[in-house]
Amino acid sequence: MGDTVVEPAPLKPTSEPTSGPPGNNGGSLLSVITEGVGELSVIDPEVAQKACQEVLEKVKLLHGGVAVSSRGTPLELVNGDGVDSEIRCLDDPPAQIREEEDEMGAAVASGTAKGARRRRQNNSAKQSWLLRLFESKLFDISMAISYLYNSKEPGVQAYIGNRLFCFRNEDVDFYLPQLLNMYIHMDEDVGDAIKPYIVHRCRQSINFSLQCALLLGAYSSDMHISTQRHSRGTKLRKLILSDELKPAHRKRELPSLSPAPDTGLSPSKRTHQRSKSDATASISLSSNLKRTASNPKVENEDEPVRLAPEREFIKSLMAIGKRLATLPTKEQKTQRLISELSLLNHKLPARVWLPTAGFDHHVVRVPHTQAVVLNSKDKAPYLIYVEVLECENFDTTSVPARIPENRIRSTRSVENLPECGITHEQRAGSFSTVPNYDNDDEAWSVDDIGELQVELPEVHTNSCDNISQFSVDSITSQESKEPVFIAAGDIRRRLSEQLAHTPTAFKRDPEDPSAVALKEPWQEKVRRIREGSPYGHLPNWRLLSVIVKCGDDLRQELLAFQVLKQLQSIWEQERVPLWIKPYKILVISADSGMIEPVVNAVSIHQVKKQSQLSLLDYFLQEHGSYTTEAFLSAQRNFVQSCAGYCLVCYLLQVKDSSPRNLGFETSAFKLTTEFVDVMGGLDGDMFNYYKMLMLQGLIAARKHMDKVVQIVEIMQQGSQLPCFHGSSTIRNLKERFHMSMTEEQLQLLVEQMVDGSMRSITTKLYDGFQYLTNGIM
Amino acid sequence: MAQVEKRGGLLRKSSASKKPLKEKVVLMYDEIFMVVAMSQTEDPSKCSPRFWEELFLMKVNLEYLEGKLESLDGEELMKIKDNINCLFQHCIQALGEEHPIRVVNALQTLCALIRGVHQKNKSTSGFDIINMLMGFDKAELCMKNLMESLDSLLCAEGSESLKSLCLKLLLCLVTVTDNISQNTILEYVMINSIFEAILQILSHPPSRREHGYDAVVLLALLVNYRKYESVNPYIVKLSIVDDEATLNGMGLVIAQALSEYNRQYKDKEEEHQSGFFSALTNMVGSMFIADAHEKISVQTNEAILLALYEAVHLNRNFITVLAQSHPEMGLVTTPVSPAPTTPVTPLGTTPPSSDVISSVELPLDADVQTSNLLITFLKYSSIVMQDTKDEHRLHSGKLCLIILTCIAEDQYANAFLHDDNMNFRVNLHRMPMRHRKKAADKNLPCRPLVCAVLDLMVEFIVTHMMKEFPMDLYIRCIQVVHKLLCYQKKCRVRLHYTWRELWSALINLLKFLMSNETVLLAKHNIFTLALMIVNLFNMFITYGDTFLPTPSSYDELYYEIIRMHQSFDNLYSMVLRLSTNAGQWKEAASKVTHALVNIRAIINHFNPKIESYAAVNHISQLSEEQVLEVVRANYDTLTLKLQDGLDQYERYSEQHKEAAFFKELVRSISTNVRRNLAFHTLSQEVLLKEFSTIS
Repeated sequence: MGDTVVEPAPLKPTSEPTSGPPGNNGGSLLSVITEGVGELSVIDPEVAQKACQEVLEKVKLLHGGVAVSSRGTPLELVNGDGVDSEIRCLDDPPAQIREEEDEMGAAVASGTAKGARRRRQNNSAKQSWLLRLFESKLFDISMAISYLYNSKEPGVQAYIGNRLFCFRNEDVDFYLPQLLNMYIHMDEDVGDAIKPYIVHRCRQSINFSLQCALLLGAYSSDMHISTQRHSRGTKLRKLILSDELKPAHRKRELPSLSPAPDTGLSPSKRTHQRSKSDATASISLSSNLKRTASNPKVENEDEPVRLAPEREFIKSLMAIGKRLATLPTKEQKTQRLISELSLLNHKLPARVWLPTAGFDHHVVRVPHTQAVVLNSKDKAPYLIYVEVLECENFDTTSVPARIPENRIRSTRSVENLPECGITHEQRAGSFSTVPNYDNDDEAWSVDDIGELQVELPEVHTNSCDNISQFSVDSITSQESKEPVFIAAGDIRRRLSEQLAHTPTAFKRDPEDPSAVALKEPWQEKVRRIREGSPYGHLPNWRLLSVIVKCGDDLRQELLAFQVLKQLQSIWEQERVPLWIKPYKILVISADSGMIEPVVNAVSIHQVKKQSQLSLLDYFLQEHGSYTTEAFLSAQRNFVQSCAGYCLVCYLLQVKDSSPRNLGFETSAFKLTTEFVDVMGGLDGDMFNYYKMLMLQGLIAARKHMDKVVQIVEIMQQGSQLPCFHGSSTIRNLKERFHMSMTEEQLQLLVEQMVDGSMRSITTKLYDGFQYLTNGIM
Repeated sequence: MAQVEKRGGLLRKSSASKKPLKEKVVLMYDEIFMVVAMSQTEDPSKCSPRFWEELFLMKVNLEYLEGKLESLDGEELMKIKDNINCLFQHCIQALGEEHPIRVVNALQTLCALIRGVHQKNKSTSGFDIINMLMGFDKAELCMKNLMESLDSLLCAEGSESLKSLCLKLLLCLVTVTDNISQNTILEYVMINSIFEAILQILSHPPSRREHGYDAVVLLALLVNYRKYESVNPYIVKLSIVDDEATLNGMGLVIAQALSEYNRQYKDKEEEHQSGFFSALTNMVGSMFIADAHEKISVQTNEAILLALYEAVHLNRNFITVLAQSHPEMGLVTTPVSPAPTTPVTPLGTTPPSSDVISSVELPLDADVQTSNLLITFLKYSSIVMQDTKDEHRLHSGKLCLIILTCIAEDQYANAFLHDDNMNFRVNLHRMPMRHRKKAADKNLPCRPLVCAVLDLMVEFIVTHMMKEFPMDLYIRCIQVVHKLLCYQKKCRVRLHYTWRELWSALINLLKFLMSNETVLLAKHNIFTLALMIVNLFNMFITYGDTFLPTPSSYDELYYEIIRMHQSFDNLYSMVLRLSTNAGQWKEAASKVTHALVNIRAIINHFNPKIESYAAVNHISQLSEEQVLEVVRANYDTLTLKLQDGLDQYERYSEQHKEAAFFKELVRSISTNVRRNLAFHTLSQEVLLKEFSTIS
């Protein structure tokens, strides 16, 4: 019972602790509030307050029940009349409160009664400690989630639900899967505590709405279909997908849209009008994305459900994946992918975005020819690049006008056609035969030529203009009458030199098209795509990339991502220089999702296949000899990421790129001789550094074990993911942190693990080892 | 020709038993064309005031009406001019009627009138026809009204068959003369543009499916009206269209027509090969192919090809459409039923309607799935270009090469042709020849599209060395290759192409020119072609470092030249001989001698080295690897002359060089289109049924 006392208190801004809860918390309670309110300036105070009221109401009702149950405690006093006074302090018109009360009362009544029955008796001392904790600066989102999950007291849960408003959005966002999984699978009190916050955030952000809707769908999918339909998760999802959570106060400014960007399109023609109506028709068929850019009028008239365009976008990406899966060869898949995407392009720009990106934007184009099918046996995951225009606010900024693909032709005249990746200096250096010899005197030792005319024939550059007639006479008609001679050897030499200078691009392999695409340095790619894009000239143009996975359950990957992220921040906090780079994961449903690839990363498998070199030789080839700065820093990076990766593998028992067997495998991790070679052999300093990093990393992780375990534990609720098979998943996970060992013992353990993994040299190199990148090397 | 067919139609359609009983409509026609007295006609509505209203409720008898007009000679026709004018005007009035049946009848009557009067009037000028149909004084207003009515009918949300009939009428109007530029009525079509209506049809998928073909053909023809003399608004407008939906629509119509042709050709070919003749076919394959070809009319597709040409040539934005995948054809995922083995449409009789294509599910072969207009066009070209003996096919082949020339000059087109990320497997048609096996389709690598273009050119080069030497096509072919090389050099595209095939094809062509010197020289200036070929080699020799894929490909180039040095030696002695004689070829031949300087330098430089290498090592016959070794070792002492202008070319220009060709082409297209506008396509039984239920 006692817990319930706590929760109304923080909301009580009155300075008299007269009816305060047990303990002398009155003052500090107040401070919590002020602190909270201070932070609330970020969030919408109205909404927050509403949420608080909700909680209050609930408690009030509880007290009705409590009073009857003859477990009278001082807390009754708190609430008895507290509500009104408190709200007055918050400057709310009483009329509104009444309304709220009526509404809420009805809604909450049933749930609370149940909750009340379940309540346990806690002693008030413990509770006061809890309260202190909650109030303290140390109380972070991780703890909040933990208490939300572990506490069985509706009061505590409600309090935390309320406290969620005080955390930074990004902090809470990290735990969104946990929050929603609790919402779906745990009892109603937890759900009721979480819901106001979710609803509030959904109103604020369309991206948040989407993420919630997707996660709710995905994490409900393990339920039996009959329960699923009526589950609270499904209901909340429906609510989000309906337009009820559209920001009411902040309607998109229509006037700013209507005179909008018709400019890109041909002037008033009937054809144009007609195609508009086509667009609407196709939208109603819902098989198409709504193209709002060229069509602001329609958008205003019957604005669709705000998530609809985005969902269509995602749906069409998934549909492409499904169709690709039916094709037998990778080559066919690639071709098909490109043509499908070129069709998708017709519907862009639109009010759609990539949820994996960290900023507001509109998708304007998919450079379809850049897309690649990734290596997979039966599924057809593919990687696409997406051109977006960054914007202030996704909701209020109008969708960019479509610029036709061919528009680039007008901005890029024949003369300044990009020389396909060759800068002007390079070009001047190698273009014509003459200037190339400037710094290469002996090459010019052709006997019979005295003084050579160094006349750069400018005509080359605009050979497309109808200037000169094609004729051999032009030699004599040129200003330089003297013939120019060149050495055949130089042509041949330049050819080999130029090929050598082009960075070691991977050879195109129809069976592995992604290798080439991934090897290209990201900046290079961005520049190239930008040049070829009709939107490239816009200052807010950005390039994103995403892997679309269709037919794959990414929930485990998401879990792994969260754990990795958590470990990353733990190591950062503890200053252990372990380097891991988790992929950002977007779960779309239980069998589809997106991954944001790490840029500038190729898998070791591809490196080996393409280069036909050992990893060490590849490093030497790419970064120079052992003593070069480049090689040494690449080596250090490799050790740091290798140690990080090995620890992750150990803790999560990763078998391949995903923790499918979380909790099953007993072997440690994989360390091949090749890796050790790169580290400089078993006796090298770097190898010792590697082991030391492992130890430090493990100690740091151990220190924060709860933060890691919690993430996994909550997701176990209602889950049928293979990683949770068996009951011992969490216990095994905890055991791998070896809480009881001394640091010396831990060191021994690390030695053993490294040893053990060295012995299992036969371990096959796994495919998805993409944490290791040359990006920072 | 048209008359013959018409009579045939008459005989087929009207049975003798029907004759004695005259339809009411026929009686009414008679009334209109009746010469009352003193060469004067009378307004039929004088006697019956509702005459015209009734007339347009009656089913049109096209045969009779046209036949009637045809039977009159010029003078007789002149006598009834007033009533023809009157009928014409009433037709136009009826187009505005609410009741569709009147509109339909009016449209059909107009067709019959235009055709009937024209046939009568072949000898006279176009102005006479305007007078005959409308009268000079009223012509302008009349045509304005007509065009406006057609425009609104085409753009309205009305019946599709009605729209179809409108397009037929327009096609009828446009093709009524053999030479489109002499069709003076079209002046009014220029003034009262229906361009926007055509565009709308193309941009709107349902209407495009129904009428796309007619619309595209109509547009192609209109663009060719007095192309070089006056400002043709259709040319101007077509050149600035930038609406993607419209351009894509146009591309789709063209792609469908071309791929339908490709499909039919393939079916025919398979039919032949699967028979018990198959063994024979391999030996005398070309004969059978020609036979198959005979049955597939190229003619209908010339119109579509012309449309493709105009779009590529006039509209800069259309180039992007070439690379667009066909959304409707490409993305057919469910094969409903196996495609019928026999073509659905009788070949060559009607233009392939897009209906047919959309209803016949294309088989799920990988090639079809992701195709684009350019691929379809390349395949089409490979079929058409294989046989150039017949004049029509020569035209088609030439037009294909002209289109390729335009494409090869375009920067954007080149960009996607060379795009390493857009790889395709293009099954070009290869002429079965005795000395080579038909390449297994499945082994084709997936490459950038430019490889398919180059393959096509190589294929053309090796398959047309014949007595009836298609010099013009060869020159165009080499030009296409040259333009592509210029782009590669300029943009440093290192294409992984088997250049060796091109080199050996070119050398073989040179050999052919030399061995047939006397025969060819009688007809052609073979030195232009020889010079172009030699300069292609010069391009590789002096600029190879900028676009060859590997150093060894440069070595291979030298190897190939050295290996075939005999051909170059012969060429040199031939041009030297002719340039020292004071003959008509002096100048042309001497250009070739100059151009050969580097090739000769290579040969003269390496041959002694190779010989001494052989002598030193006591080898009689050096292997390729040994020769390459010598080549690699001796580059540094070889000096080449930088020839200027190798990477320059004259831009394609239609007006100056090709006008005659296009005039002739359009003439033949007009004739074909007119012939295909048969009665049954005009009478539209379906349509009458459609509207009879409404009333």
